[in-house]
Amino acid sequence: MKVDRRLFANFDWVLLGLVLLISGVGILNLYSAGYNLRANGELLYTKQMTWVLLGLVVMVITFSVDYHIIIRHAYLIYVGSVLLLLLVFFYGNITHGSQRWLAMYGFSFQPSELMKLAIIIVLVRYFDDNMEKGYSPGNLAVLLTIVGIPFFMIARQPDLGTAMFLLVLSLSMAVFVGVGRRLLIYFTLGGMIFAPLYWFFLKDYQRERILTFLNPERDPLGAGYHIIQSIIAIGSGGIWGKGVLKGTQTQLRFLPEQQTDFAFSVFAEEWGFIGVSVLMFIFFVLILWGLKITRYSRDLPGALTAFGVTMFVFWGIFINVGMVTGIFPVVGIPLPFFSYGGSSMIVLMAGAGLLMNVSMRRFILQS
Amino acid sequence: MSGKQDRLTGYDPVRFRKKIRVIIWLVFLVFFILIARFWYLQAVRGDNLRQRSENNRIRIQEIKPLRGLIMDTHGNILVDNQSSFDISIIPEAAKDIEGVMNKLAGLCDWGSDAIFRDSASLKSGRPFVPVRICKNIDRDQMAAVETNSLDLPGVVVDVVPVREYIYGEMMAHILGYVGNISSSELGRDVYSDYRSDDIVGKYGIEKYLDGYFKGKSGGEQVEVDVAGRRLNVLGGIKPVSGYNVVLNMDADLQKICWNAFQEKAGTAIVVDPRTGSVMAMVNKPSFDPNLFNRGISGDRWKKLTTDPLCPLQNRAVSGQYPPGSTYKLVVAAAALEEGLITENTEIFCDGTYRMGDRTFRCWKKGGHGTVNLHRAIVESCDVYFYHLGEMLGVDKLAEYAGKFGFGYKTGISLPGEKKGLVPTRAWKLKRYGEPWQKGETTSLSIGQGFCLVTPLQLLRAYCSIANGGILYKPQLIKRIETTDGQTVRDFPPEKEWVIPVSRKNIDILKYALWGAVNEPYGTGGELKRPEKDVCGKTGTAQVIRMREDASDDVVGDIQYKFRDHALFVCFAPYKDPTIAILVIVEHGGHGGSVSAPIARRIVDGYFNLERRREKT
Repeated sequence: MKVDRRLFANFDWVLLGLVLLISGVGILNLYSAGYNLRANGELLYTKQMTWVLLGLVVMVITFSVDYHIIIRHAYLIYVGSVLLLLLVFFYGNITHGSQRWLAMYGFSFQPSELMKLAIIIVLVRYFDDNMEKGYSPGNLAVLLTIVGIPFFMIARQPDLGTAMFLLVLSLSMAVFVGVGRRLLIYFTLGGMIFAPLYWFFLKDYQRERILTFLNPERDPLGAGYHIIQSIIAIGSGGIWGKGVLKGTQTQLRFLPEQQTDFAFSVFAEEWGFIGVSVLMFIFFVLILWGLKITRYSRDLPGALTAFGVTMFVFWGIFINVGMVTGIFPVVGIPLPFFSYGGSSMIVLMAGAGLLMNVSMRRFILQS
Repeated sequence: MSGKQDRLTGYDPVRFRKKIRVIIWLVFLVFFILIARFWYLQAVRGDNLRQRSENNRIRIQEIKPLRGLIMDTHGNILVDNQSSFDISIIPEAAKDIEGVMNKLAGLCDWGSDAIFRDSASLKSGRPFVPVRICKNIDRDQMAAVETNSLDLPGVVVDVVPVREYIYGEMMAHILGYVGNISSSELGRDVYSDYRSDDIVGKYGIEKYLDGYFKGKSGGEQVEVDVAGRRLNVLGGIKPVSGYNVVLNMDADLQKICWNAFQEKAGTAIVVDPRTGSVMAMVNKPSFDPNLFNRGISGDRWKKLTTDPLCPLQNRAVSGQYPPGSTYKLVVAAAALEEGLITENTEIFCDGTYRMGDRTFRCWKKGGHGTVNLHRAIVESCDVYFYHLGEMLGVDKLAEYAGKFGFGYKTGISLPGEKKGLVPTRAWKLKRYGEPWQKGETTSLSIGQGFCLVTPLQLLRAYCSIANGGILYKPQLIKRIETTDGQTVRDFPPEKEWVIPVSRKNIDILKYALWGAVNEPYGTGGELKRPEKDVCGKTGTAQVIRMREDASDDVVGDIQYKFRDHALFVCFAPYKDPTIAILVIVEHGGHGGSVSAPIARRIVDGYFNLERRREKT
């Protein structure tokens, strides 16, 4: 593989800076939330540092290899990810009633996180291949199959949140490409038909979550507990926050899942509205930066890749923050670069690497 | 890299730029909504939610006060408080309940009934509220749980104070026992300031003085984490321990009475005739009040309640017996006071007494010959008293019985007291719709028939003879005091009234009682202690009327429940009595042969105790 020296002249330092900034705040937040929390005997925030470093290594790979090469292997990546999901189905570890994890060599890995990136790459390849041919019903059937297989596999775990996330991500890419209104109509109709049917396949706790989302006070100490405690944590932070290590909701463990899904509630409690605004601004800049890369990318695969990754981050923010503030139901989507979690962090770093990949290769052919 | 150019031709950046512009607006809108939401939560509702977060972590936890202690007259502790250990589990903190329960079960040998909650029943109920799974574990088990607490997430050991009845069965009926307040009790006015998790006295002094023992709950503002674990105490009010109660009872004397009684059923009471102080009160058979501490098992409760010997009954105050010959003293007092006889009035006893078509017998076949009042009491001549009864009539007899306190509750500080029965003509008519029969007066004059007294009533009447005519309320409680010994309430001797018997007549009766013990042919000769001058009277209360030809010596052949009750009542010393004793042995047979030896052991024990105390 030839590495053009000009690539490094065009390296996207802003993107790297933004990602590291958010990860850094995330680690600081983890320190505050769980400075005494351990996973397998290790402190969470030091573990998260390891994940960030490991993510950076993966990032180097994903920005070094030309994204065209990556996209050429899209189906391989996709099939590999699906196989991993299959492994989860047979050998996955069960925690909290669902089977999401794959334990390998002392590490736990969540293939559904990898699938988020894999679906972006495979869709880029698919749209790129079929752009000119138009989208016949047959083609659309292929598209639905590509998205449908991982969707149902993840929904079966059950992890409805991540499954829906895949759907939303795919849908936004399809809309961006302009697959057309017809596809949208198919999707919507399909959704309307399947959603009520799906209700019967939901596990009790999932139904409970949806009902509770509609009315959190329905069960204030049961399923609604998470949402209410999160809202209390955020609100009690007020304008200025309670200060690092001083969030009582967090320190006293009223806040559930405070290192993963509800990490942002911890931040909001301790840093207040001021801190939230600053962090949200950084996220906003990150999304704009991703869209800028999309806009200035050299070709369709580049633009689609950049857009897909940007949407990956964007929907992560929207759903997670919406969830902790009670706008969305509790679905278990982590806040990108911020929540604790190895799989999520490494996959996102890989995604950021892809963005850089597109960003630094945009000038090469033109000059 | 061929073919890339082809793809490039299909790439229309302009089209995407338009879309991206729209998307930027959408993204902006989303961020705006999120920020607005934060503004709403943090700025608009911030104060409100901060308050809720304070409430979240600060809880008011009730601190139960210690129940007051009970002590005897010399300050010996009779009832103490001890620690009992419970195991609770917070299901949400345990996560894997099944696993934790198994670990818990494997940790030490609990006995099969110890863990009374299966894991399924733990899942219901409010989250983060500890559920008790095991009561009253011993110290070793508690230590095992504490040392393994890291492997047992969500498992909490609670310390619960429980009553310790140091003397166990010996004082069960006086001290009583405690238990969780029942829902029916909670409904009553008396318990209006009680809560559903309160411990209340269920019986005995524990029940009678519950309001004093209870104390006042304190509270603590504590900072807790989600599992309810205490992190910090922010302030609070200390609980006020309940008041201590000092009884007139003498634990050593109680022990003497208990041991004197051996394995018979019945009751023994010791009262100071000068004050009415109850110094001992023993009931047999008895029960262990410690069993009730953490809730008695159904089997045990059933066994106690269905036992034909009624171990739960406090016979001293709620047992009702015919007084037998001990009642003769009342008859004699009435006849003397009414001027029907003098101490010299003589009556000839040939062993029988005819009333209408019935023949009443004296207990002594062949009769006592000519006896005066003194001899009649000493030898307990029935015929003499048949005559007195006829002279007095039922209603006059009832009047004097009432003056001696029969037919009224003594007012002792124990629940469940009975008032006995003093029959009159009016009573008989009302109760049976039949007029009074003359023969019934004859039975009554030797304490048989309808007449029923409680042991405590009988002893009180004899105390009034012993002390020269004053009827005292039997006083079980000496004092109620705070934990640091300050008196809250005193219980001085309470005079009820003076019996309408002249000093002279009292002395006649008293001397006769002395004679019954100390003179030849006295029925209470068993108690003859030359140096102590005991006065006493035997009594044999018939349970069923015996056939006239039945021999008196065949007690062993008669079925237990048809045997007579054996009574003995005495006081000593003759001159200035300091102790009065009543012994009733249920279905024991003869008062003189069964109850008197028990009374003797108590008298001896008492004076030995006195002597020992004087030395030290």
